[in-house]
Amino acid sequence: MIKHIINLLEHDLRNFFRYKWWLVGLISMNLADLFIMAIVYNYMVRGAVIEQYRDYFRFFAPGLTVTGLFASAFMIGREINMERRREVHHYMLSLPMTRMELAIGRVLSGGLRGMIYMSPLLLTCFVFLGFPNVWQFLTIIAILFLLALGISGLSIAIAVSTSSLEKFITARGLVYYTLFFCSSVFYPLSLIQQLGAEGKFPSVLVTLAEINPLSSASDMIRNFLLGSPAFSYVSILNVLVFSAIFTLSAAFAYIKIIERK
Amino acid sequence: MLVAERDVRLFFQYKFLIIIRAIWFVSQIVLFGLIASRMINVQEVPDYFRYYVSGLSIMTLYSAAIFIGFDIYEEAEHGVFEYLLSLPVSRRQLVLGRSIGGGLRAFIYVGPLIAASLYVIGAVNPLNFLAALFSLFLFSFGVSGMSITIAVMIKSIDRFDILMGVLDALIVRLSTAMYPLNVVQTANPIYGGIANFNPVSYAADLFRWGTGLPDIITLDNPLLPLVGIIAFFAIFTFIGITIYDRRIEGGGWQ
Repeated sequence: MIKHIINLLEHDLRNFFRYKWWLVGLISMNLADLFIMAIVYNYMVRGAVIEQYRDYFRFFAPGLTVTGLFASAFMIGREINMERRREVHHYMLSLPMTRMELAIGRVLSGGLRGMIYMSPLLLTCFVFLGFPNVWQFLTIIAILFLLALGISGLSIAIAVSTSSLEKFITARGLVYYTLFFCSSVFYPLSLIQQLGAEGKFPSVLVTLAEINPLSSASDMIRNFLLGSPAFSYVSILNVLVFSAIFTLSAAFAYIKIIERK
Repeated sequence: MLVAERDVRLFFQYKFLIIIRAIWFVSQIVLFGLIASRMINVQEVPDYFRYYVSGLSIMTLYSAAIFIGFDIYEEAEHGVFEYLLSLPVSRRQLVLGRSIGGGLRAFIYVGPLIAASLYVIGAVNPLNFLAALFSLFLFSFGVSGMSITIAVMIKSIDRFDILMGVLDALIVRLSTAMYPLNVVQTANPIYGGIANFNPVSYAADLFRWGTGLPDIITLDNPLLPLVGIIAFFAIFTFIGITIYDRRIEGGGWQ
């Protein structure tokens, strides 16, 4: 079983590195966000909002790492959607491996690709914010890997449920913007909660921001590197639940839909 | 006009991309704009929500106008170029028509979004806004001309896609679309220098001036950015015509 999954991982990783210039472009866009937008925001953001992080740049760097992970782990969905449209999945089904191995391999490779892409961003984060201790480092890697698996699963579930690339792109856009902007990636969670308490932001979106795995992962890295916000085991649980739900649902959706005539 | 009309019609075939841009625009206003405005120091930007929404219209206009470059590759790939060359129009008319069509369709697309953002940010000074609208037209044509110029110079759609992504990231972030010039200059004089000579900054500042809202106006004299936009339009339309003219002969686009 492991050998088959490793073969699939190799196939998907080779595909991933075919887009090397695209990856360079994506990384430079992420770095532009960090080294231009975040630096300018340092001079505009109210001190009271980010005083525990010292400046906006330090606050934003962990969030950017998580958004990079999200975008790259989501890429597997685009490929699977294309395979389905071009009927490459018939070839995949003919491979000497079980359907479950095929499904697990695809979800795993999506997650692994996300981790590879995210590593330079995480390293940049460590260089500017400081390095965590070994246990914190291992926890960050483990949580980010679980998050990447969940994102890869979510992307595959959307890819196999949409019949055209346009529908996939539209669904991806909806998921992207809702999860990115309703999270603590760009602004502290307390700010969203405050807006919710004042009745200026729908409570559904406040709850979404609280349980959003992107918020949980960003805030966990911030806690380890900057000491704030407070560490919560609930955030780890959020990522675990998100990862379990989407990894399993993607695996079952993938098996069911690629076997459909 | 026929060439421009064709490009406008082509654009509305990409309905999912139009929808996705509209989702991006709305979520930027109701999610990012609303929340981010709460964390901005009012001494730096008195009304960041309105400031950001007006900048967002220019960012959307810019990315819609860029899209014409992708059509150039589609046409080269599907052999439509030969058909276009066989039309009874001169090469210059063809390029100028494409530049105008690219700008016009971006404007038609962004028109309702601009109307929505004007509704969100409130009052408008009609006379100023008409002048600003004229400069936005020129800005949109200039961006289309720039996209066509780059598309005919780079023969790979992948490279074009990457370059436009990076250019978009840099040109928007190093402009006054998201933050005022004095803040950019304080943050980094090099960034400030670039933002000061950036057509996105000119368009965003003119748009804000056109709204007539004192809290977001950053211009004392709108003449300088207007001249900047006219120069941007003229340069890229001229360069676009010259390069397109040279490349399309003898299968140079292949």
